[in-house]
Amino acid sequence: MVSVINTVDTSHEDMIHDAQMDYYGTRLATCSSDRTVKIFDVRNGGQILVADLRGHEGPVWQVAWAHPMYGNILASCSYDRKVIVWKEENGSWDKMYEYTGHESSVNSVCWGPYDFGLILACGSSDGAISLLTFTGEQQWDVKKISNAHTIGCNAVSWAPAVVPGSLVDQPSGQKPNYVKRFVSGGCDNLVKLWKEEDGQWKEDQKLEAHSDWVRDVGWAPSIGLPTSTIASCSQDGRVFIWTCEDPTGNTWTPKLLHKFVDVVWHVSWSITGNILAVSGGDNKVTLWKESMDGQWACISDVSKGQGAVSSITDTQQSEQ
Amino acid sequence: MEKMSRVSTALGGGGGGAVSGRTMFCHLDAPANAISVCRDASQVVVAGRNIFKIYALEDDQFVEKLNLRVGRKPSLNFSCADVMWHQMEENLLATAATNGAVVTWNLGKPSRNKQDQLFTEHKRTVNKVCFHPSEVHMLLSGSQDGFMKCFDLRKKESVSTFSGQSESVRDVQFSMKEYFTFAASFENGNVQLWDIRRPDRYERMFTAHNGPVFCCDWHPDDRGWLATGGRDKMVKVWDMSTTRAKEIHCVQTIASVARVKWRPERKWHLATCSMMVDHNIYVWDVRRPFIPFATFEEHKDVTTGIAWRHQHDPYFLLSGSKDSTLYQHMFKDASRPVDKANPEGLCFGLFGDLAFAAKESLISSEANRKPYPGGDRRYPIFFFKKPDLTEQFAHVSSALSVFETGLESGRMDWFSRTARRYLLCGKPFAELCDHNAKVAKELNRPQVSTTWTMVRIMFSDPANPNLSAKLGTLPLMNSFSMKDMGACPDMGACPDMGACPAERGKEGRSDAAHLEPGTSHISNNDDNEETEGSDGQAEYMFGDAELDDDDLYSVEHDNPAEDQEYTLPQEAFPLRHEILDNPSAPEPLQQDKAESPHVSGGEAEATCLTPIESCSLISATQPLYSAHLPAGFFCPVVRDMLRYYAEQGDVQMAVSVLIVLGERIRKEIDDLTQEHWYTSYIDLLQRFELWNVSNEVIKLSTCGAISCLNQTSTTLHVNCSNCKRPMSNRGWVCDRCHQCASVCAVCHHVVKGLFVWCQGCSHGGHLEHMMHWLKSSPHCPAGCGHLCEYT
Repeated sequence: MVSVINTVDTSHEDMIHDAQMDYYGTRLATCSSDRTVKIFDVRNGGQILVADLRGHEGPVWQVAWAHPMYGNILASCSYDRKVIVWKEENGSWDKMYEYTGHESSVNSVCWGPYDFGLILACGSSDGAISLLTFTGEQQWDVKKISNAHTIGCNAVSWAPAVVPGSLVDQPSGQKPNYVKRFVSGGCDNLVKLWKEEDGQWKEDQKLEAHSDWVRDVGWAPSIGLPTSTIASCSQDGRVFIWTCEDPTGNTWTPKLLHKFVDVVWHVSWSITGNILAVSGGDNKVTLWKESMDGQWACISDVSKGQGAVSSITDTQQSEQ
Repeated sequence: MEKMSRVSTALGGGGGGAVSGRTMFCHLDAPANAISVCRDASQVVVAGRNIFKIYALEDDQFVEKLNLRVGRKPSLNFSCADVMWHQMEENLLATAATNGAVVTWNLGKPSRNKQDQLFTEHKRTVNKVCFHPSEVHMLLSGSQDGFMKCFDLRKKESVSTFSGQSESVRDVQFSMKEYFTFAASFENGNVQLWDIRRPDRYERMFTAHNGPVFCCDWHPDDRGWLATGGRDKMVKVWDMSTTRAKEIHCVQTIASVARVKWRPERKWHLATCSMMVDHNIYVWDVRRPFIPFATFEEHKDVTTGIAWRHQHDPYFLLSGSKDSTLYQHMFKDASRPVDKANPEGLCFGLFGDLAFAAKESLISSEANRKPYPGGDRRYPIFFFKKPDLTEQFAHVSSALSVFETGLESGRMDWFSRTARRYLLCGKPFAELCDHNAKVAKELNRPQVSTTWTMVRIMFSDPANPNLSAKLGTLPLMNSFSMKDMGACPDMGACPDMGACPAERGKEGRSDAAHLEPGTSHISNNDDNEETEGSDGQAEYMFGDAELDDDDLYSVEHDNPAEDQEYTLPQEAFPLRHEILDNPSAPEPLQQDKAESPHVSGGEAEATCLTPIESCSLISATQPLYSAHLPAGFFCPVVRDMLRYYAEQGDVQMAVSVLIVLGERIRKEIDDLTQEHWYTSYIDLLQRFELWNVSNEVIKLSTCGAISCLNQTSTTLHVNCSNCKRPMSNRGWVCDRCHQCASVCAVCHHVVKGLFVWCQGCSHGGHLEHMMHWLKSSPHCPAGCGHLCEYT
């Protein structure tokens, strides 16, 4: 049922830490310990390397595509404590901005919804979360939430601009003033929600359920859904689905999706927000869907393509 | 010599024995510049500009043993840039002073001042001193003045001087393998190899780095490997055993490399620290040059000196820092960036495909391999026997695959196809529904298809399906309800319809259930069977619907009017017989409608022709209708259905039905929800690059916030026609000259409606007036003399 349609030969020299498809699903950006970020054109099952971005001086942990209304923009964050924003202009990718305000490895980057302009959240091992806002003319405004997670922040994910309830009391016909919100997960085993109020970022909620580092968080896209939903996964093997039906956004209830045997590294929502992909330490991906009675059920498993894998290993061995 | 041995015994029981301890530190009086450990790993000397002390390494603490800075006014000879403890002579130390002096110290001296020899031959700071590994009396120094000097400690002067050709020397290291060879690194990026017996010329020179080479270190096992570190943030490993120095490994670190030290007993490992920015100590596996194997992050300022505690113990590292602390780091307490690193990447693509990158399994690739191919015999045998799992850090790579999830619900192909083919306007309501139902059916989405058909039946009026008629849906419903009430006391219609969303829910679940075992195709029949099984009352209604569907689609285009008749029974209202009795009256109506869909009188006319509607006709006013059946009779059902679709992630359906139904349903759903659906759908359409569809949806939407989306993307810049300056505010009155800017230059009235103006002189007016004027005169009608052009 699940079939490999494309095995991408990334030619990365070390471990790949993230792979992200762009807004239109035509390009795939990967980043690796080998300090590079690569962009592949994956249209029609192809895999053409279109860019090899070098600029980081350490393993690159995560990449994030910005909304295309701002151009082709990719952000990457690295062990070298830097966040680099890359922009494609006339077919060539260049550094648009380099942020060096963190004191430790930057683990996660995520672009906010386009309604807010170009805004990037970065979570770092120094415990802080930075919010970089493009203000035009090569200028970026930096706001920093210090000590957001003690020991370190591992993941950030933005709330969709139109969160149910966020439109309350807006005069109709006028572009509503959305509240900027995002979720973060960290080494303090906490999932935290942040909200901008009067230009200042404040901790909105603190969600406790995990018993070990939170590895990834994902705010579900809100495509017609009446509730806000967040998925979080942790070193403790557990994946929680947090939902909030309260329009004020104050009551979040966790539901245990599943307890895996190994670390769960990633959660990723489908475009419509109704399927959750979960990848764990056993190199397996599972897909989950909520049934009518509110229970989450595994609808599919994906193991990585073994054939392709072994051939790569062989070449490595011969190299050594 | 007796005293020497006494000192060493007193300081920590010299020689042998397993090293034990824990991660610990002590505060120094001043920043350290360099540290060095005595051979038996029991003591460490810390040297700096204002410190020169010996500490004993005890199990759980550092104990200060000796302060070598003595005298009331310590001379600059005490200010150390570097220090080295002799590895054979336990009481012998050498320091490189910042004033250019090379000093040796004898701990065996009875006096408080242990200074032994003083060589003041260098003219500038001495950066490095190095004892020969096997020749007891031989000491080498490298200085900022560009010279390296070799001293015989039995003599008062240097025995030979090596010139680096005016380039500052940053490091000098005797080779472990070649008795007479030493390496020197320079600020210009070069590394030179010298033969100690030939001071006239270097044996070999190569450029190792861009910019200064701050440090170098020979591999402790005599492999002829030299590691160099430079300001270019790189550590390079050179094989010096060949005729040309060959770069065999290159590690790029985050900051410039100030010190490099091979890790004992680990062929591939080395430790580095930086003199700028970065306070951490890194241990690298040169085979995996991108990510440190381990880091020690204790220091709060730049680490200046690192030393492995014992030459055969890889687990203890000592370090001194500008933050005035001396640390002993335990390997087990090191942080391992790789353990924190995410080994997997996962991303849901737009089309429901899944990109997944995962680390190759370490174990499987390593299992068939020797721990160290071409392993060195010199390693203690236990090392081979117990490959420490925590020490495994070989090259790792990832495989990246894109998966097709194969789930109907997960894939998004249908989305763009549906979006492209749906009709949302431009045809009568019933036709739109039929068309969309057909599209859905062709894309194998029976549930959606059925919904469209249902929607049509619920809202269409066989007598008057004309979209433009405001209350066009009412007569049909009315007639229904009236017959209904009479013929069917149990109100059959309402509960049945009410049950629909729930049944769809079941279908939805059955989708999932079917998908798990591997069937991706769900036929309409399956669903209906399911429904039949679970809902006895409704069963034949769906059966009928199916049959009718088939008929419906086969004849649809030939005779739309007939369709309508046939589809009516799909509702499964108990009174379908009565509807079947309906004569073919709609036919003339259809023609009528097709020819003039906007004839306002058509409504009454059409209803006249339908016998069944005669009662409605008589009472052709709204109040009377609503007395029988309120306008929104089906609305709650449809509203719930739309909600259901939206919650399932199919916002497309919700919005499409919303648009097609228009006024019929709009008031049932609050504006915010509608707006949310619209924005979600438009976003999705744009992601799929369906610009035309998205534009159409924006145009058709009735939400203020949505329909203004297109307007906000167009900006008009206007100049005031009086003062010729840009209009800053939004109104039509210029805030500078306080006059209305939109006065027609021809008739001098304010223009309401189409306004045309010249971009050159900002004058303009009514479109017709301007056209007329400019036909006869090329000049601006305002008399400003501008030659306006109208094209």
